[in-house]
Amino acid sequence: MTATLTKPPVDVPAEPEQPRRKRSTGSFLNWVATHAIGLALGLMFATPVVFVFLTAVMSDNQAFTADLWPREWHWENFVEVFDKAPLFQYLVNSLTYSLLATLGMLISSIPAAYALAKLKWRGRNVAFILVIGAMMLPPQVVAVPLYDTWSSLGLTGSLVPLIAPYFLFDAFSIFLLRQFMLTIPQSYVDAARVDGCSEFQALVRIIVPMAKPGIAATALFCFLFTWNDYFGPLLYTGEVKDQWTLSLALATFKGMHIVQWNSSMAVTFLTMIPAVVLFVFAQKSFVKGITFTGVKG
Amino acid sequence: MRKHTRAALLCVAAALTLTACAAGKGGGADTGAAAAPGKDDKLTLTVWSNYSDRELEEVTKALKTFNKKFPNIEIKHEGSQDDDKITAGIRSGNTPDVALSFTTDNIGQFCSSGAFQPLKAYIDRDKVDLNQLSPAVQEYTEYKGNRCAMPMLTDVYAMYYNKDLLTNAGIANPPKTLDELYDAAVKATKKAPNGDIEVAGYLPTMGFYANRPTILAPTFGGVWEKDGKSNLAGSPGFTEMLTFQKKLVDFYGYDALERFRAGLGQEYSADHAFHQGKIAIMIDGEYRTAFLKAQAPQIKFGTAPFPTAKDVAYGTAFTTGTIMGIPKGAKNPGAAWELIKHLTFDTDTIVDLSNAIKNVPSTKAAMESPKLDVDEQFKTFIDLAKSDKLKGNPVTPIGDAHIKAVTDFSVSYQSGKVPDLAAGLKEVDKNIDDQIAKSGK
Amino acid sequence: MTATLGARPAPGRGRARARHRLAVLGFMAPAIIGFVLFFLYPLIATVVFSFTKYDLINAPEFTGLDNYTFMFKDPLLIKAITNTLWFVVVLTIARTVFALGVASVIARLKTGVGLIRTLCYLPSLAPPVAATLVFFMVMRPNGGPLDTFLGWFGVDAPLFFSDPAWAKPGITAIMLWISGDLMIIILAAILDVPQEQYEAAELDGAGPVRRWWHVTLPTISPVLLFGIVNSVILALQLFTQAVVAGSAGSGAADATGSTKYLGFPDNSTLTFPVYLYTQGFRYFDMGYAAAMATVLFVISFAVTIVLVQRMRKNSTAEEGGPGA
Repeated sequence: MTATLTKPPVDVPAEPEQPRRKRSTGSFLNWVATHAIGLALGLMFATPVVFVFLTAVMSDNQAFTADLWPREWHWENFVEVFDKAPLFQYLVNSLTYSLLATLGMLISSIPAAYALAKLKWRGRNVAFILVIGAMMLPPQVVAVPLYDTWSSLGLTGSLVPLIAPYFLFDAFSIFLLRQFMLTIPQSYVDAARVDGCSEFQALVRIIVPMAKPGIAATALFCFLFTWNDYFGPLLYTGEVKDQWTLSLALATFKGMHIVQWNSSMAVTFLTMIPAVVLFVFAQKSFVKGITFTGVKG
Repeated sequence: MRKHTRAALLCVAAALTLTACAAGKGGGADTGAAAAPGKDDKLTLTVWSNYSDRELEEVTKALKTFNKKFPNIEIKHEGSQDDDKITAGIRSGNTPDVALSFTTDNIGQFCSSGAFQPLKAYIDRDKVDLNQLSPAVQEYTEYKGNRCAMPMLTDVYAMYYNKDLLTNAGIANPPKTLDELYDAAVKATKKAPNGDIEVAGYLPTMGFYANRPTILAPTFGGVWEKDGKSNLAGSPGFTEMLTFQKKLVDFYGYDALERFRAGLGQEYSADHAFHQGKIAIMIDGEYRTAFLKAQAPQIKFGTAPFPTAKDVAYGTAFTTGTIMGIPKGAKNPGAAWELIKHLTFDTDTIVDLSNAIKNVPSTKAAMESPKLDVDEQFKTFIDLAKSDKLKGNPVTPIGDAHIKAVTDFSVSYQSGKVPDLAAGLKEVDKNIDDQIAKSGK
Repeated sequence: MTATLGARPAPGRGRARARHRLAVLGFMAPAIIGFVLFFLYPLIATVVFSFTKYDLINAPEFTGLDNYTFMFKDPLLIKAITNTLWFVVVLTIARTVFALGVASVIARLKTGVGLIRTLCYLPSLAPPVAATLVFFMVMRPNGGPLDTFLGWFGVDAPLFFSDPAWAKPGITAIMLWISGDLMIIILAAILDVPQEQYEAAELDGAGPVRRWWHVTLPTISPVLLFGIVNSVILALQLFTQAVVAGSAGSGAADATGSTKYLGFPDNSTLTFPVYLYTQGFRYFDMGYAAAMATVLFVISFAVTIVLVQRMRKNSTAEEGGPGA
């Protein structure tokens, strides 16, 4: 077993296709077809977002019409929504929830995933089944007793019941990380042990760097899940407005009494921005991670 | 190894603590009346309602008039708190002092579970005369004799018609009977050459906008309950309602109707089909007059009682409204009651609020007040509210599950999936009775 | 629980093994505590509540099997179960295949990768409430963009959120549109496939399709399996999209969550979690909700067992598999 961790870092992740470039017109057509499909997919995904944006800058009267293009550009819609709701406060709450939960998840899930993927111990299979069981369980099932408990601790109406569990157990992330760690050959861990590394050192020095794309993906997943979470904030902070997250506020924002498509699309668009920024950064770490893990079997 | 044992113990201990905490909840409802606050007592009353934007401001203004009587009570008004949040607040102890609910659907639950405190002791102590409220309004604020809420303004439902569309269709007077309604609906309907509906005279689809069984049933003479049992099959009114709707659905053609309906705007938006002149006749509450004037000034509309099956019943209307209660666990129940009393009975406050958000006042005195703005369209609703033909919400301990059951059934009937109407209604009856039996209340 | 703790003391077998056990325990400790607090305890409590009548305001009252026998009298429950099973089957297959397909295309791109990857991913950043409203707007008949587009070909758009037959497909379309997260994970896995394996396959004369089938697919199978599990979970838990689609479709988008509009049209969007939430948090019937939760738990547990068995087969293949 030789492991090559020393592949030169390349910025383009499309490495696997490289050799085929030397080939003939067949591959050129292939190239065109692939890119045409890619472009079509990109457009298909993007169209509704563009539609959101265009609706956001329409006047209230135009927003539900068959028009696709705004007659007048009401840029002030993006500003006005800040008067209608304390969006900054909601943004801070959303960030608090998502960032702390993601941090907590990384602290608690990476070691657990490692133990499940790379260590051999009695009860491992049972533990793994329990993780899957917990993951499959719809949150509504355990919502009642948990709500009861948090409320008797006086913590409902705050973000604590949403964040705290991530510092202990997030079945989903454990599962996902384990799946990623499984793709790392056992030989690396064994080699580290032979070199006298403790399990903790093996985890930190070998597994974590190699599983970077997986960890980045899991973190992103966790961040987004919490960012878009509707049920949790609804249950725990529903009646306490200054604890609302953006996603919860958005649901209420479209008006208890009047549906204003333009404002609600404006908020939708604004809500997406922080997550997009995060993704652009996370994307870099994917790419870096990917060029790092060239593995020779 | 020691670590292991300790961890296990910790788990068990934590689990036990949690169980203990959870078990320590509950307790009986408070039946006594809390003392009213002194004139200069300083305290803060929290009020939750489901209002937003302009209406929120107007209601806050109305709440502040309470300060004339109690200048040192600060009132904190939070809008956009629906019944779910009120319930959640009661359960978790984050309760307001006064809760306003938009629907009367949950009153059975609020009263029977003790979520809203019983008000009888207060009413007896202050010798409140409930007859200032119409009987239908009294009905929808209590459950089985347990009054746990008071009304703040009411909604009354009647027919809206688009004057231009009816005139163009050659209809001089708004319909009064079901036959006239059918006739008007057919004549006012416009279809494109390909069969698509462009304007619907009257849209019979159950569940569409205010086409709810509760709102429609009274005008057809439907009686929800008999001897404590659901009475859909027993009351000819429901059969009549469903057959009438089906006749119209068949006229339009189910598929064409569905395609038309699916393209209409949302009920509370400027795209409402009536605002857009896409439907000529509909049933709706008095608040729609304000929406129409603000959002669709170009639409010339009139209002009248909704057509009825029998002539004698003409003028029958459904009423519901905003209700106020003191949630269990409220910090200042005594002061909360004073505020509720003020909002239910203080004529000036009610009239001002009614003028501002265009709802029907809930007391007889306020309806007679010369200060109440009553224009031609609004008058219909005031007259209906004053009449003795007003019908309230059927109060049940199962929330609106019975309404949903009837709506669902009507929709399947309209789509032609129900072969035997009578048998189908009996089944719905049984389902509703089962649910009430399960609730045990 | 002892099974999970696993590192059961086996006296005097050398320091290394003790250290190993300590490591396992240390790594697993937070998870074990969290599992007990946030799953085991509430699960037991749920089962206990399912034998009571409980409104969360007054103390629970023991009612035996009443909640379970009522299930057989409740037509909506059958509807809810059927709808959720529909999603479990259709959504799971559609979402996994779709995400795999898109990820495979993106993996083959050479120019504009970043842009297209971002575009495909973008929608999954939209909060579910917003995504549903957007789709409602895009897919509405009479003037919606999709209807206009199909109109050019002389086709009427189906009544996505109004026709009982099309409501679930409509929601599935929303779920595909926001499946960017799964796509990214699969993409990461595809790009992670060791280059040498492709080269070896190419030397054996395998074309792109065969390479994809024989190299890519087997290597990323743990992640694909994750995709399936993830989709099953989404399907079992489908809540927000169903609620919002129901109220917007019925013309009452302002009244999201009002029970009158739940499941519109014709209860075709009434999923199990939606019904459970309605019973528990709206109709004040926690006992019945807990009974439903127990049933849901049994169902999801059964699905889990099936998946775990498949996974076992997979991971035994994995250990001696492509990496070695």
